[in-house]
Amino acid sequence: MTAREGAITALAIVSLVTACLAGVENGNTSTRESANDGVTFNRDIAPIVFRYCSPCHRPGEAAPFPLLSYEDTAKFARQIAYMTEKRIMPPWLPAPGELTFQGEMRLTEEQIALIKRWAQAGAPRGNPADLPAAPVFARGWQLGKPDLILRARKPYLLSAAGTDKYWNFIFPTQLGGTRWVKAVEIRPGERRVVHHANVLVDRLHSSRKQEKQPGAGFPGMELRIESETFDPDSHLFFWKPGSAPHEEPEGMALRLDPGDDFVLNTHLQPSGKPEQIEPSIGLYFTGTPAAKFPMLLELQNDKALNIPAGTSDFVVTDDFTLPVDVDLIGIYPHAHYLGKELRATATAPDGTARTLILIPRWDLNWQAVFYYTEPVFLARGTTVSMRYVYDNSEANVANPFHPPQRVMGGNQATNEMAHLWLQVLPRGTAQEQAASLRSLQEAMARHDIRRDANDFAAQYNLGAILQDRGEIGEALGHYRAAVAIRPNDAVANNALGGALLASGNFAEAVGLLRTALKTQPDYFPAHYNLGNALASMGDFAAAVKEFRAAVMLNPGDSMAEANLGGALVETGQFGAAELHLEKAVKLDPQNPVALDNLAELRRRRASARNP
Amino acid sequence: MVPGQENQATGRVVDLNGHAVDPFQRTSGKVVVLVFVRTDCPIANRYAPTIQEISRKYRKSAEFYLVYPVRTETSERVKQHLKEYGYRLAALRDPNYELVRRAQTQVTPEAAVFSPGGKLLYHGRINDWYTEFARAKREPTTQELVDALNAATIGKPVANAAVPAVGCFLPDRP
Repeated sequence: MTAREGAITALAIVSLVTACLAGVENGNTSTRESANDGVTFNRDIAPIVFRYCSPCHRPGEAAPFPLLSYEDTAKFARQIAYMTEKRIMPPWLPAPGELTFQGEMRLTEEQIALIKRWAQAGAPRGNPADLPAAPVFARGWQLGKPDLILRARKPYLLSAAGTDKYWNFIFPTQLGGTRWVKAVEIRPGERRVVHHANVLVDRLHSSRKQEKQPGAGFPGMELRIESETFDPDSHLFFWKPGSAPHEEPEGMALRLDPGDDFVLNTHLQPSGKPEQIEPSIGLYFTGTPAAKFPMLLELQNDKALNIPAGTSDFVVTDDFTLPVDVDLIGIYPHAHYLGKELRATATAPDGTARTLILIPRWDLNWQAVFYYTEPVFLARGTTVSMRYVYDNSEANVANPFHPPQRVMGGNQATNEMAHLWLQVLPRGTAQEQAASLRSLQEAMARHDIRRDANDFAAQYNLGAILQDRGEIGEALGHYRAAVAIRPNDAVANNALGGALLASGNFAEAVGLLRTALKTQPDYFPAHYNLGNALASMGDFAAAVKEFRAAVMLNPGDSMAEANLGGALVETGQFGAAELHLEKAVKLDPQNPVALDNLAELRRRRASARNP
Repeated sequence: MVPGQENQATGRVVDLNGHAVDPFQRTSGKVVVLVFVRTDCPIANRYAPTIQEISRKYRKSAEFYLVYPVRTETSERVKQHLKEYGYRLAALRDPNYELVRRAQTQVTPEAAVFSPGGKLLYHGRINDWYTEFARAKREPTTQELVDALNAATIGKPVANAAVPAVGCFLPDRP
């Protein structure tokens, strides 16, 4: 339906409305009589507007004009009635269901009907005594002054015209020590052009490689952050217009270590004039370290996305069965421009199904992380399913191609995605939670491998989980698969080399570790492992070289110093050995390797004096 | 909406200095194009580069005017808006909807093409970029205003005389 058709439905009352609105425009509002059925702004409409419209429709926020007063609202009465009746505004994607979300922006049918009657009656003001207090909004930071403010190092210049842009900003943190983050407030800059923004932590600076110059930022719709360890801090930090910053629930916080980067992913829409986008991020710390560690479960099936041109109901699914009990805290469904209907369901072991979220009319522009009002308990054995429907026909206005073309899965705006993230929290004691997280990680990795044996991250992760559990044999198989997928990857080659080293296969380990160092010459773990492998084979001179490289890269590592000292003892360089072993002990007085090697050094010296 | 800001609203079409203007009196034989906008309409604003570009292409054969019909948008506000969006077009205020009625305008942005003699040849959307509020295509797939101009500037009949536009409602317009 077009705007015109919508307007025609109100045609019958046109002449009346015109007369009344003209009154408004002339400022003669106080003398206006209430309309026949008595709907007034002060009594009926103001509570709706203040709750659902004003948070965004106010100066400095994303909406194009304010809706803070009778005058503001009466001016747009007819438009508001149209927008609410079609549920274009307020923007809220999920359909109402058994489960409710925090900050729901969904009007009831009664509220919509009320607005329509009010607009048709000529937007009467009503009795001043009925008017509720205007909402009060904090200026600037919504959660108060942040403990740390990170500012974009270089603004992004958004051109006046063109298609949507996706830009990423990197914020180095430069902390003095580990901190715990309770809330992250994203200030996206010029809000009228920022559709959404989300923040990820990058502990390995993997995103910096994508910048042409340090601090320049980089384009891209989807962020993939590399991580070589399991990150228990699976938090979602998201900004969308009009939403309050999310504060972590009791017991939860994000660990932030010195050197960690934040990466802000933004979706920008040109506004008709050039805009300078200069976001900042406010961090709110807590002195209490996290006691609960949520995990992000990721269902996805991008591989199945191969959508023929003209198809209007292409279905993609994925399922994951929970190996442990969890509480579901938040949910983040994600597709691109062809998404039509997005649904997630939880089916309990007894077969009862619950809709976790249903988005009947997907719109990328209003995507968000949705937090449940109350955590949703999902028992062990529950199967979580996503079922997404895609429309690649001409009827889909958002279709990036005209005429439609075949669309495949991928990270570009012209590709499609089928992802569902679930933020879950295991139950029980700290120990039980940790065990549950490991079970979830393993189940997730096995699930991913079943879907795609060439999933590098899943093969690598499963290898690491199994190695951690002491199942070296099976771990080796998955590490080998990871190396086969990415033969030059430093992290995977090092992991396989390290596992082989642990299982006594030194010669093969050396080859893999050398490959890792060829890819990444400054990779500390590979130098350290290679030193150990060479020492185990008796090549102490070569081992010394690798351990020297390791201590250069990481001067504070007691174990590297201890092993360097040990290799030096074996090559007869007692003076240098003593220096490094003392350094190792200084760094860690309890280091058993350093103490052993020192004792060995003393024996060798003694026997050198008394042969 | 604020009383006292309407000192220029004399019921006539005025330029930004408050002088009465009749855009049909000085066409020098050119087609006249009115593009209705308002300063606070995000859809109209997104169209600014498109409007500017079309007016540039047709400046030899068509006289373009930006028309601000919302009574409460003062000349100062309009001047600021022109600057912000890089418009280099003559701007008019139409507080009593004389041009709105003549062009049968419903929303902003909306265009109207008149013959040099002042006959309405086309009114409606610029193109099909928006098919609903908050639902924009990646790029428009039709060009109604350009099509109308191509016909009107050589004296041919315009195929589609009216195509409804999607945009911000004008106060008081049904």
